[in-house]
Amino acid sequence: MEPAEAEFLAEKELVTIVPSFSMDRVHLIGGDLGPFNPGLPVEVPVWLAVNLKQRQKCRLVPPAWMDVEKLEEIRDQERKEDTFTPMPSPYYMELTKLLLNYASDNIPKADEIRTLVKDTWDTRMAKLRLSADSFVRQQEAHAKLDNLTLMEINTIGTFLTQALDHMYKLRTNLQPAESSQSQDF
Amino acid sequence: MWYRASVTDRRRHCGTEAAAPGSAADCSGLPQRACAAVPGAAGASAAPPPALPAMAEAYFPVGPGLGSEENFLSLDDILMSQEKLPGRAESSLPRLAFALGQGAAGGSGDSIPEGSKLEIPMWLAKGLHDSKRRIISVELPKIYKEAWRTVFSADANVVDLHKMGPYYYGFGSQLLNFDNPENPEIAQTILQTFISRFRRIMDSSQNAYNEDTSMLVARLDELERALFRAGQKGLNDFQCWEKGQASQITVSSLVQNYGKRKFTDMDG
Repeated sequence: MEPAEAEFLAEKELVTIVPSFSMDRVHLIGGDLGPFNPGLPVEVPVWLAVNLKQRQKCRLVPPAWMDVEKLEEIRDQERKEDTFTPMPSPYYMELTKLLLNYASDNIPKADEIRTLVKDTWDTRMAKLRLSADSFVRQQEAHAKLDNLTLMEINTIGTFLTQALDHMYKLRTNLQPAESSQSQDF
Repeated sequence: MWYRASVTDRRRHCGTEAAAPGSAADCSGLPQRACAAVPGAAGASAAPPPALPAMAEAYFPVGPGLGSEENFLSLDDILMSQEKLPGRAESSLPRLAFALGQGAAGGSGDSIPEGSKLEIPMWLAKGLHDSKRRIISVELPKIYKEAWRTVFSADANVVDLHKMGPYYYGFGSQLLNFDNPENPEIAQTILQTFISRFRRIMDSSQNAYNEDTSMLVARLDELERALFRAGQKGLNDFQCWEKGQASQITVSSLVQNYGKRKFTDMDG
């Protein structure tokens, strides 16, 4: 899966906007949107929010976790713990990128937020690599990691699965070869 | 769940079909909806869509076999089986001095005497080896012998595996085909070497962005280099997405060279 695909999935998350137009309730296949009244906040999916913002029809309200103090807490807790802490949103990386790219004027202290999220990301990736290494070293069969997000899995996924494939094949060398050979057609 | 087709937001390849049914027009103030919602569990974020067929690459290489059987179609395996093994002739081989002997006395047409040392490529060794061992007997190359095995178990990270035969793991796996009392130790050593070097490959490939990586891959063998490239790709894709380049339309590698071809006298 590419990062762009993970971003596509992230755009289903809901975010609050304050529209500057009015419209009745819209019935879509997946659900209802609206009604939109100027000045009244409403919850919409991110894809719509970004689109409206680009057409300057709304103002984005940053999600509750996108705040400097909260992110500092999250970052510090991530650094303290050995395991992964639950993230405020399973798509925190994608939402940060989308909201800060398109709506940075609506979000106070955007640069600090970007830095804090990047720090948290780096810490989590380092933990992920550490646990991948100990997984390989002990030649375990299963591992369970809680609270990982899709983007993190994506970035390390191809490498890890290929390495584990190779390790598996090398491990089958340890068993003495079976004498019967079979051909598959 | 909502499905939305966005024309500009996905990377398009000029040479392939557009992936999403179109949706651009925007008269009522909302983009048109395309295709039906996917019925699914409420926790939709846990179920990614099936990966798009990767038409971005023109060539899907067949990977090396590893393990006791090689992959017939794999280029890596073909190159690996060209590596030479030391061995000796068990019986005299008539008229093969020109092919196999090094510096054997006499010109072509002479036979290789029994017991003389030979260096034969792996594919030939596998073919000529049989359980009665009439023709060829093989010895282990020095890197799989006891002395080097202790070096690997001490610290595998310092060894230059590229110099020691660029196909350490593949060749070692093929060596297990020949009966040899040291086979279990060889197999164990190969596995442990891989495990110890894994950490360094992972760290270097996932952290070296936009750098010259020749120093990092210089000491890796071919299998590890392929892994390194996979790690780099993951990193590069992520960085490229973060910079926003993932949504720019770029020319597909499949068609990039079309304009460079010169049309010769085809048109008469």
